[in-house]
Amino acid sequence: MNRASVSVCLFLALMVGGGIFLQAGTVASAPPPPSLDEQEARAILLEIDDLWRATSSQGTVRMQVKTANYTRTMRMEMWSKGKDKSLVRIISPLKEKDTASLKTGNTMYTYLPKTDRTIRLTSSMMMSSWMGSHFTNDDLVKESRLAEDYEPRLSFKGKREGREIIEFTLQPHPDAAVVWGRIVMTVTAQGHLPLLATYFDEDNVLARTIYFSEVKNMGGRLLPALLKVVPADKPGEYTELVYESLRFDLDLPESLFSLLELRRR
Amino acid sequence: MIVSFALRNFNRARTRTRITVGAMAFACAIMIFYASLLEGWFAGMEKNAVGMDLGEFQVHARGFRADPDLYKIIAEDETVLAQLGRAGFVAAPRLYASGLAAAGNASSGIELRGVDLLREPLVTAINQHVWQGQWLAAEDQAGVVLGRKLARILGLAVGDEVVVVAQAADGSTANELFRVRGVLKSVGEGVDRSGFFLSATSFRRLMIVPQGVQQIVVKRQQATEDLGRATTRLARLLPNYEVRNWRQLQPVLARLFEMGDISLVIMLLITYAAVGILTLNALLMSVFERIPEFGVMKALGFSPWGLFAMIVVESMLQVTVAVLLALTAGLPFSFYFSIHPIDFSQFVQSSSTIAGVALDAKWYCVVTVNSVMLPILFLYLVSGLAILYPALKAALLKPLNAIYHH
Repeated sequence: MNRASVSVCLFLALMVGGGIFLQAGTVASAPPPPSLDEQEARAILLEIDDLWRATSSQGTVRMQVKTANYTRTMRMEMWSKGKDKSLVRIISPLKEKDTASLKTGNTMYTYLPKTDRTIRLTSSMMMSSWMGSHFTNDDLVKESRLAEDYEPRLSFKGKREGREIIEFTLQPHPDAAVVWGRIVMTVTAQGHLPLLATYFDEDNVLARTIYFSEVKNMGGRLLPALLKVVPADKPGEYTELVYESLRFDLDLPESLFSLLELRRR
Repeated sequence: MIVSFALRNFNRARTRTRITVGAMAFACAIMIFYASLLEGWFAGMEKNAVGMDLGEFQVHARGFRADPDLYKIIAEDETVLAQLGRAGFVAAPRLYASGLAAAGNASSGIELRGVDLLREPLVTAINQHVWQGQWLAAEDQAGVVLGRKLARILGLAVGDEVVVVAQAADGSTANELFRVRGVLKSVGEGVDRSGFFLSATSFRRLMIVPQGVQQIVVKRQQATEDLGRATTRLARLLPNYEVRNWRQLQPVLARLFEMGDISLVIMLLITYAAVGILTLNALLMSVFERIPEFGVMKALGFSPWGLFAMIVVESMLQVTVAVLLALTAGLPFSFYFSIHPIDFSQFVQSSSTIAGVALDAKWYCVVTVNSVMLPILFLYLVSGLAILYPALKAALLKPLNAIYHH
C-alpha cells in the first residue's frame, strides 16, 4: 500500500462524512492572480470539499476487500466530529464484531474485544493495512491538505465516454510535504460530482485510482455512494466502500470519541 | 660447521641476545594472545549470528527475501524437510509475520516467529540463549519469548501479559493475549528489537496459516563440509526454492570476518616492525663489531655465502628460542582466558552490535592453529627480512679491509 496521503482525505471525507477538507477561507495563498481556468479549478475543488464538509456525521458502510489472497466483506458504523475525531466500529463479521478504531488528532487507538484491550498504534504500525483493506492506518490519521498543498489546474473540459466532464490536475506546491507527485480528478460538468481520481507517485507512475459511482441522496446531499479504490501495482485487487446511510450535522457528544466509549460493546 | 659457529656466537654478547630474544618472545606471546582473542571474538559473533538466528543456510520460496510476505510460503514443507534429512542436512521450519505487540501504554512493531519446538534446537541454539525465564514449551501455548530490547521497550518481564495484533492471512485482525515466558540474551539488532517467538502451533492459530512455512533453516550434519559446496548441493536438491548460505544472507558480516584475518596481519606487521628494527639493530651491531673477525674468517677460506648463512642461522636460533619462550608464556595465558573470559560488560552495553550482530561483553580466547602459527610464521618472516642487510654486508666484506677495520 502506498504511503498515506492527501488522496485518502477523499475516502475519509466520504467515510466519516467529516469536515476533513479545508475550509474555503484557507485556500487562496498563491500571490500571482490565478487565470480563469485556475479560478474554475479551485472553485470546483472547493465544491468537492463542501460535498462532505460537516460539523459532525454518522453513517454505515459496507467494505469489500479483494486481494490476491482473500476477499472479505465488513459492515461498520462510523461517527465523526470536526476534522479531528472519528470512531469506526465493526458490525460484522461476527469474528471481528465490536473491534473499533478511534482517531483523535494524529493518534489512533484500536479496541480488540477478543482480548478486551485498547492499543495505541505506533508509527511502525501506521503503514500496515487498515482492517485488511488497501488503506493504511496512516491514511486514516493524516489530515487533508489538498487545497493547501496542491495547485489545481484545469486540464480537460468536454465530452468523454458520452459524458460532459471536467478534469483538473493537482500539482503539489514545491514546499508541500506530500507523497503524491500529481493527482488528476475528474468531475461531472454538471453538479461537479467526483467520478475518478488518479494518484501518481513522485516518479509520475500511477499508484492508485479511486472510482466514484452510484450517486444518491444521503443526509440531504447528493453524493457518490460507492467508492472503489484500485491499487495500480496489484492487478485484480480493490477495496470497495458502499455507503448504506450517511447523516450530517448531528449533535454528537464529545464523550463518544473517548477511550471509554471505544470499549463499549 | 656453520651451525656450531652460530651456536658459539649466540652465547657471546649475552645481554644483547637476551634483550633481542626477550623482545621477540614478548611480541610473539602478545600476538598469540591477541590472535586467540580475535578468534574468540569472531567465534562469538558467528555463534550469535549463525548459531542463534541465521542458521548455516536458509531456504525460502522464490521472491520471499526480496519482498517478505505471509503468503510466499514453502507449501510442501514436510516434503522438503524429508528431502533435506535424506540428503544429510538438519533442518527446521520457521513462520514469519509482522505485527504489533502492546503492554500497558507501550506498543512496538514486532516480527512474529513461529518455531518448531522439536526441530529448531537441532539447528540453532536459540533455546539455550534465554536471559530470563524459559524457552518455549509445547505445554504452554500462551507462552512467548521476546528479544531483550523489545521486552525493555514494552516494559515486560517474565510472567507479564502482552497483546499481539496483526493482519491474519485471511485479512482479519488477528489478536491474542500471550504471557512472557522468557526474554532472550542479546542476539542481534533484529531479534533484540523485534523478535517475538512463539510456537508454530500458536502462530498458525493466530495468523490463520494452516499449512506451509516461510523459511526452512538448515545446518550441515558435518561441519567440515565446505560451505560453498554444501550450498550448491542444497540448491541442486531444491531447485524450485531460493537457497542461501549465511555468508550470502549477511555479506557484511562475512566481509567483517574476512577483514578479521586482514586486521590480524596488519597488527602482526605493526608489532613485528618494531621487533624487526630491534633485530636489525642488534645484528648490525653484532656484524660491525665482528668485521675484523669476519675478515680473518674469509681470509682463512670462509665463503661469503657461508658467512651469510652463519648470520642467518644465528638469527634464526634467536627467533626459535624466542618462539619457544612465547609459546611457554603466551599459550597458557591464552588457554587461561579461553576458560575465564575477559569481562567488558562495564564498558560494552548489552545492546551493542556490530553489523547487526550482538557483541558479547565477555571475550573468550579461542586457541587455534591459525592463532598460534600465524604470529610465529610472521616472526620468522620479519626477522628473516631484518637480517638480510647485515648478513649481506658481512658476506660482501673484503678480507683485507675487514681485517684492518677499526
